[in-house]
Parts: sequence; C-alpha cells; structure tokens
Amino acid sequence: MKKLILITGLLGSSLFAQTNEKIEVPYVPFPVKMGKGFEAVQANCLMCHSFGYILNQGRQSKKFWRGKVDKMIKHFKAPIDEKSAKIITNYLFEQYGNGKKQ
Amino acid sequence: MQRRDFFKKAAVAAGAAALGTNSLEAGTTQQPIDNRKVSNVAFPEKRPLIMYSDRPPLLETPRDVFTSTLTPNDQFFVRWHMPDIPTHIDPDTFTISVNGLVEKELKISLNDLKTKFEQVEVAAVLQCGGNSRSAFKPIAGGIQWGSGAMGCANWKGVRLRDILDHAGLKKDAEWIGFNGSEKAAYYETPNFIRELKLEELDDHVILAYEMNGEDLPYLNGYPLRLIIPGTYSDSWVKMISNITVTNEYKHLFFMDVAYRVPDNACECETHDKRAPKTKPIHRMNVKSVIGYPTRDSVVSHKSHVVVRGVAWDDGHGIKDVMVSVDGGKTWDKALLDDGKLGRYAYRAFRYPFKPKTLGKITIMTKAINKIDQEQPLAKDIQWNHGGYKYNGIDEVTVEVV
Repeated sequence: MKKLILITGLLGSSLFAQTNEKIEVPYVPFPVKMGKGFEAVQANCLMCHSFGYILNQGRQSKKFWRGKVDKMIKHFKAPIDEKSAKIITNYLFEQYGNGKKQ
Repeated sequence: MQRRDFFKKAAVAAGAAALGTNSLEAGTTQQPIDNRKVSNVAFPEKRPLIMYSDRPPLLETPRDVFTSTLTPNDQFFVRWHMPDIPTHIDPDTFTISVNGLVEKELKISLNDLKTKFEQVEVAAVLQCGGNSRSAFKPIAGGIQWGSGAMGCANWKGVRLRDILDHAGLKKDAEWIGFNGSEKAAYYETPNFIRELKLEELDDHVILAYEMNGEDLPYLNGYPLRLIIPGTYSDSWVKMISNITVTNEYKHLFFMDVAYRVPDNACECETHDKRAPKTKPIHRMNVKSVIGYPTRDSVVSHKSHVVVRGVAWDDGHGIKDVMVSVDGGKTWDKALLDDGKLGRYAYRAFRYPFKPKTLGKITIMTKAINKIDQEQPLAKDIQWNHGGYKYNGIDEVTVEVV
C-alpha cells in the first residue's frame, strides 16, 4: 500500500509529456544541382538552412538572388564576404535562375 | 555519412522540393500550386506531409485534410525560422519568465500554469501570412506554399492578461515582447522575438499548452505557444520562454522587415515599382479552401457528391460560402456547420450535388464574411513582393466519369 501511494505521488508531481525523449528531426536529401560555386553554397548557406529553402524560392532573377544573399548578410548576420557572395549569387542564378538580370 | 556526400547524392526523397510547375512569368495571380505530393519522410509526431525543408522544418498540410473544423495535430503544418530548435524540453523543470516593467518578476512552471490560473480554451485558425504564395506571378520571394500552410485547433491555456495581472504591470508599460526558444547558427542573428502593443491584447490572447486535447507537438511549439486569434501566425511565438514588458518598441527584423505588405489601400505594388511604405500583415482576410474533391478524386456521373471545405476570416465570422460546380457560371449557397467553435475557428461547409456532365468540371468556392467582405477571383488579386495574404476564390478541377 505504501508503495502504491509513493507511485501516485510521483505521478502527481510529474507532468505527462507526449514525447519523453529528445525528438529527432530527420535529415532529408534534396535534389541539388552541381555547378560552379557549389562549394561556397555548402560552406556559407547550409549552416543555417537546408537546400530545400533555396529550391522552393522558385526560379528567380539575378537581382533576386543577390538580394537574398544580401538579406542573409544584413539581417541574419551571416559572415559571408563579398567574394563568396558573388560566387554564391552566380551559382544560384545559373542553377535556379529565370534568365533575367532584374 | 558526411553532409557533403549527402548532398552530392542529389537524391530522391525531396518531396515538394522541385521547382514550381506553374508558368513562370504570366504576370497575373493564379491558383496556388496544387500538385505536390506528401513526402515519404515523417517528422516527429507528424504523419508524412508536404515537405519543403528539414532545417528549419517546413511542412504543409495536404488539401484533403481540410474537410473538418479542426485539423489533426499530426497533420498540422509546421514553419520555423531558425535551424536550431530545442529537441528536448523537460516539462517538470520548464519555466516561463515574466520580467521588465512589472511589479514582481515571475518564473512560472508548467504545473503552476495548469493549476494556479483560470484555464481557458479558444478554437482558432493558425495561418502563415505566406499561405498560397505560389499563386503570385511573378514569383514572390519565399517558400512557394500551396494552400496548406494553415490549420485550425482548439487551444487550451491561460490568458496572457491573467499572467500579466499576476505580475502587475507598471504604469509606463506599453509593449510586451515574446521570445521563442529557437536559436540561429550565429550569435549575431536576430532572435525570433515579437512585440505586441498592450492595447492590442484582448482576452482571447492566450498562452497555450494544449492543442486539440493533447500536448502541443514539438514542431508546433511544445510546451507553450502564443495564440492570437484572428491574426496571421508570424506573431504566434512557439516554445515561448520569456515575456518582457517594456515602454518602448525595439526594432526587430521579423516585425520591421519581414511579414509586411504595401501600406496602401490595395496592399499592392508591382515588381518594377515597389511601394515606398509597408505595414505588418496583421489580421487575416476572408478565405475558403476546398478539401474534397481534390484533383486526384474520381467522381462518378450522376452520383451524390458532397463538396467539403473550410472557410474563415479574422473573427468577424463567416456569413456564407458560395459554391460553383460549373467553373463560376452559377453559384449556390453551401451548408455551414453549427459554428459552435466560435468566430475564430474554421466553418466547415458542404455542398451536395450530382454531376450531370461527363469530363472535367471546375468546382469553386467563395467565402463571404459578416461585414460582406468576399474572396476575389485569383486573377483579380494584386501582387505584393512578399506574396502575402492571398485569398483568391478556390478552385479544384475534377474528372467526372
């Protein structure tokens, strides 16, 4: 009986959690295009977000992609230097561009 | 496997990751992309959903879920901003801090929250401001969501007002800041913080620990998230860890730069001529989505078909949902559910009909709210650069056999 009370007491103090262990967010391989500048994308972009983020912006102009890189630098404080920013923009436009500069 | 090899495999499982299939430069808003399949990867506490990204996780609910007032937790959409989400939170030791311009600073445990405050419930629609963004042409920047970056749940928790009253607001208190627990990869990256003006707070704003009678799933903000019925979800901070009361507004990326629309009457602009002033996306507009049939449905000639879907707005309430089964030539009123979950929830609608022609038919739905705002045709929706607030008349084309 004593044991039973103890167990009830423990249950009372402990909140129910649907998941008691650490959750695991799966890694997902995305169908990424290889091309010039890919290494710079790997080194600078994937730290913060998956390739899915890039693929799902749709095909975009060079100006759009440069704007995205600038947003990462300006607002999200990604430490990307100007040389890498250019390489990344060129990669994005070549692989996921719409052929338009503006 | 090295992460690098991982990407070089350039592989299969990527679900929604392919580029949009709609034409690229039509220049007119059209129906959002509606041909994406659910992924073969299931995320924690979720069924397989339409998947855009694993880090941060971005998951969309497939259309056929939207036939009832509440969206099941395991099919509820997911949207995070930062790559590092806490993957374990101990409910026994978790506390939320209340500080800043308060009489007494608080650290409230989950247990205290559930036992020492009045428990309240509100059913409310949670919708991303960029839901249906794939409708915009030219393509607006951001994730090219179909129409499933939304859901409706019954949220249970404690009124924010009650918590602030318990702490006691100082006279000059004006803004309430909310911190989520997600972390960026770089220390300098702005945290996901939102601020609400004190006067915007009403009794429907709650801190929720329960969703549809269960703990919040981790990916929907376990153990506690902010619920602001009627507004877009960018303000509904997940995994809330801190509430700070201040007397002045702090400039925040996620409020000052992101989630904004042109500050003019049509909330519109063009690709070449962007609006000089912007404003927060804030309150939701009137919208409906068809849950059945879907583009994959087979409908039999002269059979009894019931079109189903959901309609909602920012809390004025839905008056009518009009349905067309002939591509917009004629319209008829749908039957609405009893609406007992309140004005912030979906109204489920249904419309029985018998297909009288063979071949393709287009079903359309248009919601009208109680102040007579109604959904425009997709083509009449004007562009904004963030692709926010799309609410075009929904359309599904099915084959009658």
